[in-house]
Amino acid sequence: MVIRAENVRRRYGDTVALDGVSFSVESGEVFALIGPNGAGKTTLIRALTGTTQAEGTVELLGGAPEDAARHRIGLLPQEFSPAERLTARELLAYYAGLYDESRDPDSVLADVGLTDSADTHYENLSGGQKRRVCVGTALVNAPDVLILDEPTTGIDPNGRRELWALIEGLADTGTTVLLTTHYMEEAETLADRVGLLADGKLVELGSPEELIERHGGDSRLVVEADDPAGATRALERAGYHLLPDETHVAVAAGPRDIPDLADALDDAGVDYEGLLWRQPGLDDVYVALTGTDVTATGDPITEGQS
Amino acid sequence: MSRFGRIAAETTAAWRAFTRRRTAVFFTFFFPVIIILIFGALVGTEPTGGGLFAEPAGYYIAGYLAVVVLFTPLSRVGSEVARHRDGNRFEKLATTPLTRAEWLLAQTLVNVVVIGLASILILALVLVVTDATFAFSPLVVPYLAFAVALFCGFGAILGRVADSQDGVVAASNGVALPLLFLSETFVTVEMLPSWFVPLMDLSPLTYFARGIRAATYRPTGELPPVGGTGLVGADPYLNLLVLVLLSVGFFAVGAYALPRTD
Repeated sequence: MVIRAENVRRRYGDTVALDGVSFSVESGEVFALIGPNGAGKTTLIRALTGTTQAEGTVELLGGAPEDAARHRIGLLPQEFSPAERLTARELLAYYAGLYDESRDPDSVLADVGLTDSADTHYENLSGGQKRRVCVGTALVNAPDVLILDEPTTGIDPNGRRELWALIEGLADTGTTVLLTTHYMEEAETLADRVGLLADGKLVELGSPEELIERHGGDSRLVVEADDPAGATRALERAGYHLLPDETHVAVAAGPRDIPDLADALDDAGVDYEGLLWRQPGLDDVYVALTGTDVTATGDPITEGQS
Repeated sequence: MSRFGRIAAETTAAWRAFTRRRTAVFFTFFFPVIIILIFGALVGTEPTGGGLFAEPAGYYIAGYLAVVVLFTPLSRVGSEVARHRDGNRFEKLATTPLTRAEWLLAQTLVNVVVIGLASILILALVLVVTDATFAFSPLVVPYLAFAVALFCGFGAILGRVADSQDGVVAASNGVALPLLFLSETFVTVEMLPSWFVPLMDLSPLTYFARGIRAATYRPTGELPPVGGTGLVGADPYLNLLVLVLLSVGFFAVGAYALPRTD
């Protein structure tokens, strides 16, 4: 067992950041903690790396986090911002220089797709490139345990997929990965198991497939309507069960329901640009278990809010 | 490699980060220069026979050096701590082999080099624009190094206490200004009330100013011997010893004070 948390609690004044969280991560596993901003992900990462003191039991590499062999750990903190006037290569060389044995910074730059920007000062890189440099700083020591707090936040979709491929490659070579994310697709793609955090509690744990099977519910039809409010009224009148959706109107329904649903919209005079059938995912699991949806920026939307 | 390699990596990165902030570099050197031009050349050219800057020009060299030894490490390390905390860099470093003491030592080494260069500039400028004489002593080097270490430690403490870079600047100014003028740098003991004089022994900068002056200033004519008061008098070695002990203490507390996350 590489990481173990048992009944971990942490309060900041009256705010409960972690409320009895228990889970473990096995060697070679990719484990994702998912939840919106404020769910407790970063506090949990800090407790696991020993940079905040929490109640309960925390073990990293078989012992207290402070005693863990540091050359075996690679950490990307949330909102990490290194020295701005160092180039990407200098930054990686700096962090590599902190270890007795480290990777060649140029090979890490190649891994994170920044060979062409190696000599650009960090402050002049794009947001996505900056984040990739930051991910690179967690890779310079070829860690056995990689802990990534929101690794792809701010990265464009292509860059995100490149990083996913990189993380998958590391996992294939036996690296244990613990990551946090509010991108459900990321957890679904990368993780062997996920833990759903909400208000400091771990509400569910399992493989993405298990969780979707258990809690994902029915498939849904998503209506891309010019008048979402009108579409919502029309579908409610027609007896459809509305599901929370950040950008469109969604109802619990399958592909066979499409004709009836289209008729309901036509009868109400509601124009729509598209009807999309979507299988349930981790976002649906999260909504089902917590009543909260997560926006693209990681903010929570409680069911019933627009 | 180990410890030496880690300190070298941190020092190199810190040096690059500093030298590429052109405004910071400019004002690091501009500050002592303008102080000398104002107080050494402008005010000091016509001594009033009493009051401020009435001593021979050489008397104030220790004060000019104290300016850079005090202000630069205090504000630089304090700001660097704030920058590291804002960017979650300490959280990252806490999971690397680099210790807090090694981090502070690297910052200190950068400051020693910067302040060493600034001190050379100060001495050259003072000798050019005033009629000061300066008897070089090898003791100047350890005095500068340990005083820089002391105020780097102090800066780390301020960086921990202040919650932002703005807060660090305000706190370092609030600490540095009283220390500068009440540590036998520019204001002589005779100008202060007798009840205050023992309090000067509480300022670390007093030992720097007294020691540097005792080691390098040779008053001539009928001028009285300098720096005869205080805990350890005017002995440059004893003042250096006190400065070393204070440096070790401030450095240790400063390293311990460096934040991790909470």
